[in-house]
Amino acid sequence: MSNDRNIIEAHQLSRSYAGFRAVDRIDLHVPRGSVYGFLGPNGAGKSTTMKMLLGLTTPSEGYFVVDGKKNPENRVEILKEIGSLIESPAFYGNLTGEENLDIIRRILGLPKSAVSQALDLVGLTQYRRRLARNYSLGMKQRLGLAGALLGKPPILILDEPTNGLDPVGIHEIRALIRSLPAQFDCTVLVSSHLLSEIELMADRIGILNHGRILFEGTLEDLKAYGLTQGYPTGNLEEVFLAMVNEDNGRRGMIR
Amino acid sequence: MTGSRHGKNGLYLEGKKLKRTGFYPAFLAGGLLSAAFPVINLAVRPESFLSLEGSPFHILMQANWQLMAMINVLLVLTGACIMYHTEHSGNAILKMSSLPFREGSLFLGKALVMASVCAVVLLIEAASVLFCTIHWFGEEGMLPEVLIGFGFSFLMLLPALLCSLLIASVCKNMWVSLGIGVVCIFLATMLPKDDFVLSLFPFAMPFQEISGEIHKLLQQVPETVWKLSAAAGAESALFIVLEFVFLKVRRWF
Ligand SMILES: Nc1ncnc2c1ncn2[C@@H]1O[C@H](COP(=O)(O)OP(=O)(O)OP(=O)(O)O)[C@@H](O)[C@H]1O
Ligand SMILES: [Mg+2]
Repeated sequence: MSNDRNIIEAHQLSRSYAGFRAVDRIDLHVPRGSVYGFLGPNGAGKSTTMKMLLGLTTPSEGYFVVDGKKNPENRVEILKEIGSLIESPAFYGNLTGEENLDIIRRILGLPKSAVSQALDLVGLTQYRRRLARNYSLGMKQRLGLAGALLGKPPILILDEPTNGLDPVGIHEIRALIRSLPAQFDCTVLVSSHLLSEIELMADRIGILNHGRILFEGTLEDLKAYGLTQGYPTGNLEEVFLAMVNEDNGRRGMIR
Repeated sequence: MTGSRHGKNGLYLEGKKLKRTGFYPAFLAGGLLSAAFPVINLAVRPESFLSLEGSPFHILMQANWQLMAMINVLLVLTGACIMYHTEHSGNAILKMSSLPFREGSLFLGKALVMASVCAVVLLIEAASVLFCTIHWFGEEGMLPEVLIGFGFSFLMLLPALLCSLLIASVCKNMWVSLGIGVVCIFLATMLPKDDFVLSLFPFAMPFQEISGEIHKLLQQVPETVWKLSAAAGAESALFIVLEFVFLKVRRWF
């Protein structure tokens, strides 16, 4: 049923909260070995979608398949393949960065060396003995990223990984994400508000607005799509904004 | 596979998460404090106890257990709040939920850690009581009775322990769980002691003690003792089931 080319596929996936649909019947196709950029304004439903993929919330409709496995029957099997960073950083404040990663390492059953490798990848090695609650926002974000990279999982789900980082940090982490598929032979699903950011990392993008997919395809596809729709095309960010605005306008008329 | 690996690991992991939280010092201090009661009581006014008829163990428990049990149950509640505060305050629980292991084992691991430190606390208390029977009453042979008595106390503590953990896991705010727990303990102290059904309230059970009936225990287990034990087992199982239901249902909201 699942396509071998796509490591993650969602079909009509929806999530409703008290009467409104945060995610509205979306179809996703994330090709194996790619960086997939998940783009949308605040409240579009990016985090909600990612939480569903991680089994943190139950879809109200639809289903998804991860590497041929279906949720919720294979929740643990699916999670074995995914490293994740969701929304705000999640950590034990009373433990050091290193101890935090060690907890995750033990649950994943990895060798001790995995922790120092992950710390090294995100540039936290010199702060590893500091308590996580005393980390700066950017350091917490890096700790979350290290937790996701631990054990080099075949799939990475990263929710706004550059949130709270300084410009140098943003550049560094982007370069890291960009290099992950080649380095670890993995697939990355990464979310952002900024097309300019996604443009630099992703092979394929999905644009989400008010819980609906407006566009899914490569950057070239988006360019071509912009041309046919008569959007300004000098700048892809403008295509994205025009698309969202037009969709918002349509919604305004329906309501 | 991962589940069983975590099972072996769970006690260690959940124990390690409590580093620098004051959890272990709190239990040690609480244990020593409650163990001090019988000693102080006897040191200050030995005549009022030594003149009493009956088993020294029973005399000591009658005089001190309500206070000691209060400390135990407060420790259990505070401990549960600390345990889940570390999960909720930095949102670590979200990361834990996205790792490949059954979430129930997190709860069970915590329960195991707490049961172990409670066993240590009860052992400290038992040692103190035993010391009093020897030092003041000159009774050398009380060890089996004291061990049986405190073994029963351990069993009576389990429902409160699991219930506190359940409350703390459901309420994200530590102060809310602490408040609920304190109200429950307060309620428990107000319940009439002679009503069997009311004495089954999980936070009332730790106040039960069987020092007066242990001599009967050797011939035949008195009805209240086995009824209370069975109830403690059933309640414990119930709270574990409720936690598992909570973990399932939570994904819907
Ligand atoms: N537990 C919840 N209860 C009610 N509504 C919720 C809940 N979680 C999310 N929502 C709503 O769902 C919508 C989508 O939220 P989501 O966090 O997925 O957005 P997002 O795309 O990640 O936004 P951002 O870019 O700001 O992170 C929002 O309107 C949000 O208020
Ligand atoms: Mg979000």
